[in-house]
Amino acid sequence: MYARLPDRPGGAQTAMTAQIEIDFESAKSELAAITGKRGALVSGVAAADAFDAAPEGYRPVDILPHAKSVFVIGGAQPRAGDWQSPNYQHMEVTSTSDRMQTLALRIARDIEDRFSYYAVCVPPGVDHGQQPFMSISLAADLAGCGSKSLAGPVLHPEYGFMYYAAIITTMPLSADKPLDPPACPAPECVQMYADEETTPCLKVCPVKAGGCLGGRIEDGRFTERQYDSARCATRVQNYWVPGFQKVLSATLQEPDADKQKMMLSSSMFSRTLWSMTYSNVSQGQCAECMRVCPVGREHRTKK
Amino acid sequence: MGFYFVDPKTYKKHKDEILELSHAVQVNFQEHLPAEKRHPGFSDQQIAEKLGLEVQVVREIRCVAERDKYPLDEFEEAIRFKEKACRDYSVRGMSAVMEKYVKEAKKGK
Repeated sequence: MYARLPDRPGGAQTAMTAQIEIDFESAKSELAAITGKRGALVSGVAAADAFDAAPEGYRPVDILPHAKSVFVIGGAQPRAGDWQSPNYQHMEVTSTSDRMQTLALRIARDIEDRFSYYAVCVPPGVDHGQQPFMSISLAADLAGCGSKSLAGPVLHPEYGFMYYAAIITTMPLSADKPLDPPACPAPECVQMYADEETTPCLKVCPVKAGGCLGGRIEDGRFTERQYDSARCATRVQNYWVPGFQKVLSATLQEPDADKQKMMLSSSMFSRTLWSMTYSNVSQGQCAECMRVCPVGREHRTKK
Repeated sequence: MGFYFVDPKTYKKHKDEILELSHAVQVNFQEHLPAEKRHPGFSDQQIAEKLGLEVQVVREIRCVAERDKYPLDEFEEAIRFKEKACRDYSVRGMSAVMEKYVKEAKKGK
């Protein structure tokens, strides 16, 4: 097979690449090595046509026509010390996915420059319907970079929670397989569920007692999972766009100018404005279900 | 529609139904479940087809309804929740929820 885009401008490199036969297995190993060298802990490939579980409009080909593969990278975990901080706000400003996104942009460029295939990063934000452009967690799951958890985030069996980014490409890389067994539930959680009918994440954030999560473990897999995403937003996006809209709405309805001033200068609104200016990507502002997760615990345990 | 927001009457009429059909309420959402058990929620397009509405109308109603579901108090409660959960963990570590099971799993390895 020959590299595409022979007629595209780009000088000698494109012309040369067009004539070189690409060994896609070697190319995949090379990309994995590059990502590892640049700081990713895991990488894998999902076939672009394997996203049946995603609604139309949110599949790889909806972002890049003729997409063949989705190259997924993961890493940039919070440090072990971050999890130990008694100040919940610590994680809000230290834990973002932008490092993986930056790396993904470089990989996309490598794919286009070295192999002459189209490559785009899945944008990290949300579209006009407040939905992710494509489910990166589904991509990570399909690529075997981790598996979706009862709490929600994708977990790697060794490292636990981490951030992921995905590159969609027309390059036909061989697809990896989802993990079997999955990382969640961990053996400890299976045992805990058998004894107490709960798991660490369900215990800390139970949907039936003002939290976000519910579910059962059956035959070693979680099932009947319940997730209140609106409540989760009040926690994960506490000092972010949703909180901003709430306070602004309340302020606009307040006729008393003195009270308006108190609302706009309140600690909550001020903190929200700071958070929104700290970062150009969304910050995960609640990590309590992950803090108590035993998957990857050994990597989070230091002296 | 014709503008960037829907009129409040239309919103009130459809908000509960749209929220219920959407991804906002997830029960058995996960991909690993068998097809007969899996309920992934509907996309805006699918909800629009189901209810005979324009997809833009569904999208706007869902976005507002997701925000409307909990009052500002819930954001205050979130701060209290995180403060307590984080402090409990910093003092008691995994024993805050499951130390016994972590030890048992270590022995089993």
